[in-house]
Amino acid sequence: MSAALASVPAPPALEAVGITKRFGDSTVLDSASLRLAPGSVHAILGENGAGKSTLVKCIMGFYRADAGEVTIGGKVVALDGPRDAQRHGLGMVYQHFTLVENMTVGENLVLSRAELPFVVDFAKERREIDAFMERMPFRLDPTRIVRNLAAGEKQKLEILKQLYLGTRIVILDEPTSVLTPAEADEVLSLLGTMAKEGRISVLMITHKFREVVGFADDVTVLRRGAVVGGGKASELSPAQMAEMMVGSEVPRASVKRSAVEGGAVVLEVKGLRAADDIGVEVLSGVDLLVTEGEVVGVAGVSGNGQDELVEILAGQRAPTSGEVRVGGARYGGTRTEISARRVRLLPEAPLKNACVAALSVSDNIGLRVFDESPYTVARFGVSRGALRRAAEAAIRAFGIRTPSADAAIGTLSGGNVQRAVLARELDGRIALLVAANPCFGLDFGAVAEIRARILLARNEGAAVLLVSTDLDEIFALSDRILVMSEGRIVHETPAESADLGVIGRHMAGHS
Amino acid sequence: MAGASGIGIWGVPLGVLGGAIRISTPFLFVSLGECVTEKSGRVNLGLEGTLVMGAMSAYAVSYLSGSPWIGVLAAGLVGVPFGALHGWLSSRPRVNDIALGIAMMLLGVGLAFYLGKPYIKPTAPHLPALPLGFWSDNAEVRAALDVNALFVLGLVLAPTLGWFFRSTRPGLVLRIVGENAEAARAMGYDVDRVRLFATMAGGFLAGVAGSFLSLFYPGSWNERLSSGQGLMAVALVIFARWDPLRCLYASLLFGGASAIGPALQSVGITSGYYLFNAAPYVLTLLIMIASSSATRTSADMPAELSVLR
Amino acid sequence: MRRTGLEAVLVPLGAVGATLALFGAFVTAAGQNPFSVYYEMYRGAFGTWFSFQNTLLRASPLMLTALCTALPARLGLIVIGGEGALVLGGLAAAVAGAHLSADSPLFGSGLMLLAAAVVGGLWIALSITLRAYRGVNETISSLLLAYIGIALLNHFVEGPLKDPASLNKPSTRPIPDALMIGSLPGLDVHYGLAFGVVFSVVAWVLMTKTTFGFASSVVGGNVRAARLAGLPVERLMVLAGFLGGAAAGLAGGVEVAAVHGAANASLVAGYGYAGILVAFLARHDPLAIVPVAILLGGINASGGLLQRVFGLPDATVSVLQGLLFVAILASESLYGRLRFFQRSERKAATSKLAVA
Repeated sequence: MSAALASVPAPPALEAVGITKRFGDSTVLDSASLRLAPGSVHAILGENGAGKSTLVKCIMGFYRADAGEVTIGGKVVALDGPRDAQRHGLGMVYQHFTLVENMTVGENLVLSRAELPFVVDFAKERREIDAFMERMPFRLDPTRIVRNLAAGEKQKLEILKQLYLGTRIVILDEPTSVLTPAEADEVLSLLGTMAKEGRISVLMITHKFREVVGFADDVTVLRRGAVVGGGKASELSPAQMAEMMVGSEVPRASVKRSAVEGGAVVLEVKGLRAADDIGVEVLSGVDLLVTEGEVVGVAGVSGNGQDELVEILAGQRAPTSGEVRVGGARYGGTRTEISARRVRLLPEAPLKNACVAALSVSDNIGLRVFDESPYTVARFGVSRGALRRAAEAAIRAFGIRTPSADAAIGTLSGGNVQRAVLARELDGRIALLVAANPCFGLDFGAVAEIRARILLARNEGAAVLLVSTDLDEIFALSDRILVMSEGRIVHETPAESADLGVIGRHMAGHS
Repeated sequence: MAGASGIGIWGVPLGVLGGAIRISTPFLFVSLGECVTEKSGRVNLGLEGTLVMGAMSAYAVSYLSGSPWIGVLAAGLVGVPFGALHGWLSSRPRVNDIALGIAMMLLGVGLAFYLGKPYIKPTAPHLPALPLGFWSDNAEVRAALDVNALFVLGLVLAPTLGWFFRSTRPGLVLRIVGENAEAARAMGYDVDRVRLFATMAGGFLAGVAGSFLSLFYPGSWNERLSSGQGLMAVALVIFARWDPLRCLYASLLFGGASAIGPALQSVGITSGYYLFNAAPYVLTLLIMIASSSATRTSADMPAELSVLR
Repeated sequence: MRRTGLEAVLVPLGAVGATLALFGAFVTAAGQNPFSVYYEMYRGAFGTWFSFQNTLLRASPLMLTALCTALPARLGLIVIGGEGALVLGGLAAAVAGAHLSADSPLFGSGLMLLAAAVVGGLWIALSITLRAYRGVNETISSLLLAYIGIALLNHFVEGPLKDPASLNKPSTRPIPDALMIGSLPGLDVHYGLAFGVVFSVVAWVLMTKTTFGFASSVVGGNVRAARLAGLPVERLMVLAGFLGGAAAGLAGGVEVAAVHGAANASLVAGYGYAGILVAFLARHDPLAIVPVAILLGGINASGGLLQRVFGLPDATVSVLQGLLFVAILASESLYGRLRFFQRSERKAATSKLAVA
């Protein structure tokens, strides 16, 4: 395992041939094939739901493919889960960290091994880890608690873990989604260097063209479970790859951004501080203003306090100090304030943040209004009939696909849950709209529609605060861009003069 | 009694000390059991039932076999299937481990009373005590320092469990499962199976805790034997921040609080006897209030235990 | 999880069937014929007018204590301390009754019961307040408060509030006869039954037809969504806890005003704990509580007969209840898994994928 990597033979070639995977009646992967050449970086490109994750999970043996085979070094293998994959030199780095937060870097490394002695001699392990770190192109202090690492460091630890395990073929599922552009570049170029040196081969899922162009040798493009193209990354332009990814689907619908006169201040956040669930301060004095008819985009790597900011605006978290004012008066997210100041929210993961999965679509759409006329009976009663009629109208207007208004909202697909939330939140006149990663995990069609509706609200005079980790989204929608890092707003710029490099540096905490 | 011994009011702290050791023993074992279970990311509120089942089985087996230690072993072994049932059912979809714990508590208590009916009258051999008060010729001092053998066992078990969680493969795997089930799955561990074993081990320890009640103190089997130790263990583990060694200290504290009433009674202070009996519950509640927060969870809490706030 | 109509009936019935089979094996092992045991249980619970009235008597406090678990459960809270609210409610009723004049019986009795409900309500509301504003687990705190409540009852009954005339069984001073609650017309069952049924129905209306109930189900389903909608989550929780505790306290008040005539250790009869079982078996549906409480009351009532006829210990019925509780919870995992019911769900799943 800890054999010197300098003079080892090249990693074996990995080939997947005709992989087909069905879940129930739907075919998620249809005879997909790819070849990972030894010592290369190979990108799998595709939009959400294209089958990228399913393909690598079939390769890793998480799923048993319904047809097709995987060969490593020319030999057919049928892997049976991550342990088995590890024995064949395959290892995977997931989109979300699989680290144990309450343990040290060293413990995480040791525990990742398949074969552990009954009693672990940490003094000896520590010496071996130190020796291992010496050989690595980048290092982490083995005594640090993982909880205290930055996102980029955690991702490096995930990669170190694979190298520590002697993995020769590293598979990464969107490895940069939680990193700043600079961190992403650093991690990807490290991987690229190690691949060039013949230490490892890299198979990487992504949906970012920049990463394919910058770091991949080969690319395979998936659409709706089928391989629709690929080749040498250097021979393909982003436009060609985009066309393969999207196919004949409708391109992004764009709503004209109408000029809105600089209006009154709607949202004012002053000196806002807050702590996370275990009491660590994550907002350290946030100040911001949003005026009528403008979209203010808050960019930042996830985990820099944006979640907590949105939670405070949503009334889901109490600040430790500072204040939020909406329409000139203090705002605490109570029902009367929400209704009087016309505040609406589009949170990410709407099923988790904005819906009650077990209640019906109708009840969920009625969540804002069930205690107001005309949905009440004799003041304290709820008219389910009135709620259902309103919901049915919303279902038609927003094209929500549901068996009926009475179906539990938890049974709907992500896009339809988000549409139901849109129907509820965008009903009536809006003074302030807070949107947090509103398109996360949705397909192109839904993304275009949601973005259009946000712009529509802006054009009608709403103040919009858009918090997103997707820079494309920030650039597409914002009039003004703020960058959040380590619980503070560290940069502000009008959208038309914004520079990606400058924003990226601020996201990384450098100015 | 107070006058006869001649140490008067000093009988109170002495009684509290002796009582702390005596009464803490079941708390210690059941809280260590709950600690093992919770470290794996599950809560078993059913330990109260397991404890009563253990008390009954220990008494019956001790009576039938003539050996209290076989009784202790039997109590532990009876706890295992109870833990297994809880562990297995909680891993099924949509089965709530808290509610299931309450059900297991009722089932365990009911079964113990049913099966234990014939053993209320007979006298079973008790567990031995180590006479650490041998140096004194005062009967009360000697009585207070009669330390039971199970307590000594617990004294060894607590740090051993600490080492188990820190430095052994099964202990570390158990912690991974309790901290991040997704990561444990990615590493190829069977989360449900680890939790099943952890709950079974917790059941074993809860059974042993019960054996102490019937075989040492109070030292008989009846239907009013347990006073909620199995449930208070859950609070105690929170207070001990999921550290076995701190479970030991917390148990001693609880034992001491429970001993105040009897100690005062022994020197003739009987007014407010019932209120003093409630001391451990009040203490538990106060500790829970002090150690909880509406806005944050303890950083030491196994992350998979988010249900327990 | 939405349940198809047939499934919602068949799964619990299956759990009951499994319980009966298990318990049958259990009594067979004890050397009894399970069928004659079940027959005697039926006879002891529902077989005669007399036994049925006895069952109803036992069922009425169960309805009220079940509400103590069921109402907070609608908001996702698991309260198991109804016993404490019941005994303190009983104590409050006894204290109030002993100080009230018998001049206006209806007013006096009403005031007694009101005192019982308020004290019981406050006791559970305390537990929920600790949960809502301090993050203290309400399951454990409510049980601790139950132990503390019982200790308080014992303290007052044997100390400051002891009636010197009560020698064998320490009690508070008896309440005037005029304030005692009588029986329902034509029955040997006191008004507690009416309270149980009426309050269950009122609780059902409250939880399914009102804005409070709507808000409660949002809180119970997803607290984050409730906060997003600006609902006063903490206040709703405390209010539901108060209402549940008030029901249990009322049960204690009725026990004092209709059965014991004073507060004493007889109040600690386990109705609070049995109410937890009733609430879970009824899936926290207040309307379902009424029949489930009658069923459980019947099982309890038959315990004596099992002891007399078969020589089975009185804990036999506890075993049956424990098995039933575990089986019902375990059956939760069967919803949507029985092949027979999956056709409609499969269709929903397919359309979902098509949309995604």
